Amino acid sequence: MSDRTQNLPQLYRFCFLMLGDLRKAQEVFNTTLREAAVRAAQGELPKESFWLFREARWRCLEASKMDLQPESLQIDEHDIAPQAASQIKQLEPAQLAIWISAAPDPQRTALALFYLDEFNYLEILDIAELKLSTLSRCLAQGRRQLQAWLDAKHSGAPKE
Amino acid sequence: MRTLRLLRRRRALLNCAPISHDHLADRPMRAAVSRENGSDEFVNQQNFDRAVAELIRLVPIPPESAEWFLDKEAIRPPRWTWRKIVLNPAVLAISIALVVIAGVFAFHLLGQLNDFPGSATARKLLTVAGSTRSVMLDPVSAEAGTLSDLFFMKHGLEHYDVPDEFADFETIGCRVFDDDESQRIAQIWVAEKHMQFFLFPAERDTKTGAVLTFPGWRYVHQEGWVGAVKQQNGVCFMAVLKGREKDLEPYLSGPKQ
Repeated sequence: MSDRTQNLPQLYRFCFLMLGDLRKAQEVFNTTLREAAVRAAQGELPKESFWLFREARWRCLEASKMDLQPESLQIDEHDIAPQAASQIKQLEPAQLAIWISAAPDPQRTALALFYLDEFNYLEILDIAELKLSTLSRCLAQGRRQLQAWLDAKHSGAPKE
Repeated sequence: MRTLRLLRRRRALLNCAPISHDHLADRPMRAAVSRENGSDEFVNQQNFDRAVAELIRLVPIPPESAEWFLDKEAIRPPRWTWRKIVLNPAVLAISIALVVIAGVFAFHLLGQLNDFPGSATARKLLTVAGSTRSVMLDPVSAEAGTLSDLFFMKHGLEHYDVPDEFADFETIGCRVFDDDESQRIAQIWVAEKHMQFFLFPAERDTKTGAVLTFPGWRYVHQEGWVGAVKQQNGVCFMAVLKGREKDLEPYLSGPKQ
């Protein structure tokens, strides 16, 4: 397995972005790796690349099934503002993780995998089992919704 | 319609445009990015994505989880060693199959290397030698070399001559018979080591009818019997005994193969 497919810090961050909760992220991360260690010892580790991420994704989705589900609301969307970068810098990583983890799947998976900056779009399509059009829509919508949230958080006034 | 589809695909690709240039996966993505590079909208998107990615890089790793980073080997598939590869059932089965195929091939190759014109008939006659009893032959007590006159006079067989190496051997009996290809075969039984001689027509080219020659003595083997074959004047002579090549060797002169 190449180092990229086994980038464990990124795997942990992925779990954290998917769950938005440190304890749960740790639990899924540890369970995934324990499972991988058992399979490796038995010589049954799947050969497919990014297996760890795919496995962690399903565990995260399973784990969050038990949680209270967010109400399906019409979320505001704003165009990306030129000052977005400075708005993002004022955030805490945990705040962003909570925001991403609240998104419905597959948008949540798409945003988490994309913003890890670990995979190219073809790899994301493979791991998340998405079509290009779906991934594109999830990311574009995610950006606009995040911008709206940032605007609401910092000034409360949407940018035109 | 096609243009619309292309534009929609380019838009989709741009929405997935990588944050790092290392992740420009393929040509369509590179083309879409290079076409859009510099546009305000795309620059905003890239700055936005970079800022989010940088923030995510700041996600701290708890020490309990970081312990896994030290033990990466635990989740690595076991390395293939030569021993493991060789003992893999699939590799083992393929290897055995290849060895058997190579063995069969080598056996046929060696068999063909030892072949010579008339070797098939010679082998059949070794079987005949094994099943012949001396009572089946007409009793003749003479030197083997003298029987060529008998074969010519009585049976019209020309050049059915016993070579000099075996001409002095005392005979017990002889006969002439047709084999399953209607070839006239002369068989002689001699006292020496219960040896038998066979004389049979040499193999001919099916197209030209020319005799297919070979130099010196050639050995054939069949079920514990050995024969030494020589071809002269369009007729093959074969000396046969139950045993091995080394039992016949002392009687032969000239090149042996």
